[in-house]
Amino acid sequence: MNEVLSGDRVMRVNWLPGSDRLRGRCHCGAETEAEDPIEMWEWLLAHPDHPAGGPSSPQVPAELPPPPAHVVTDPAVIRRRSPALVS
Amino acid sequence: MTSIVANQWYVAAYGREVGRELFSRTICGESILFWRTEAGEVTAMSDRCVHRRFPLSQAPSHLDGDTVVCGYHGFTYGSDGVCVAVPGQTRVPRTARLKAYPVVEQDSFVWVFIGDPDRADTTQIPRAPWLAQDGWTTVSGMEPLAARASLLVDNLMDLSHETYLHGGYIGTPEVAETPITTEVDEDAGIVYVSRHMDDAECPPFYATSTGLTGRIARWQDIEFTPPCLYKLHSRIAPVGSVPAADGTDPDAFHVEVVYAITPETENSTHDFWAVARDFALDDAEVSAFLHENNRTVVLQDVVALDVLESVIAGEADGYQELSINIDTGGLAARRLINRMAGEGAEARVPAAR
Repeated sequence: MNEVLSGDRVMRVNWLPGSDRLRGRCHCGAETEAEDPIEMWEWLLAHPDHPAGGPSSPQVPAELPPPPAHVVTDPAVIRRRSPALVS
Repeated sequence: MTSIVANQWYVAAYGREVGRELFSRTICGESILFWRTEAGEVTAMSDRCVHRRFPLSQAPSHLDGDTVVCGYHGFTYGSDGVCVAVPGQTRVPRTARLKAYPVVEQDSFVWVFIGDPDRADTTQIPRAPWLAQDGWTTVSGMEPLAARASLLVDNLMDLSHETYLHGGYIGTPEVAETPITTEVDEDAGIVYVSRHMDDAECPPFYATSTGLTGRIARWQDIEFTPPCLYKLHSRIAPVGSVPAADGTDPDAFHVEVVYAITPETENSTHDFWAVARDFALDDAEVSAFLHENNRTVVLQDVVALDVLESVIAGEADGYQELSINIDTGGLAARRLINRMAGEGAEARVPAAR
């Protein structure tokens, strides 16, 4: 795998080709795989206390709540982005 | 709370913008006056007269040799920002002095240090040597962005957006489809993101400038030194061509795309862009094409990010983003910037004892 940076404390995350998975490697040699970049960085940055068992996966409940509405508060923005009425 | 990282070097201008005319630009919320001494040295100082705050960049303020004379009441300042003359009296108040900024001209840029001048270490300024080096030809510009700097960092760290926002210019399907590798040097403060497309469509930006037709090898290697300097090492070559073991790469075309991301205010940014190439060095048509096309691409980003800024500014905080694999490099850049912001804030607060 392509490696460019040569410092003593380099963290690496490779997106494994042909998959959706990420492989992370700490400068201490610890390695793991994950499917979420946020969880991967948290695991790597926990150095030297990388959680055993690898990064946790984001918990997604079996039944999702309805997505929230996006609440807009600035009237100027609302007006700017509203289509002009055609008379 | 400020999002601007203090105690850092920022690009304030191209060297060509600063001469024997008074020039002003707001950098990280600070209004700064730039001018060149008769010996050719760039100076940087606060753009407000200490007397009644008249902008020193505003006519009829003017240069007189190596001093700047306020156009309102004639307060006169030297190249170090210290007042040397006031009207009608011989005594110049000791407090009559402008904040002077550490300034360095390097790689075609004028860099200023924002923060505590005692912490300004010129060896910390990241380099982009191609912009002013034999063997390379550069086109460059700057576009004002009505959006916070972090939105431009997000944009540049994830080039998969080229496929969607810049189709017909630099975007092809392979950009978004090709996995990236990400490296972070914790000590040097560098994020490096590689995307090597070994068999890809050649977008018009490179087909017209290089003359390559058909499929190409297209390598994108991002090297970001937060908070300001972003370099995209772009390699365009016939499919199957790789650099030789000795480091030479005679079959490839190399383009160094450099951005300097300088906050103007909390919610606006100077988007400096430069494109350096190691081929067709004297071809004015290629220069004109790359200038026009890269500016078009930058303006596509500007339109999108200006809209995004107004949307974000008009909504309550707390909406949850969603990040996927393409965001691995952008997330790393955000973290380094947040870390630097914390260090800069600590440095600004005197130690409590």
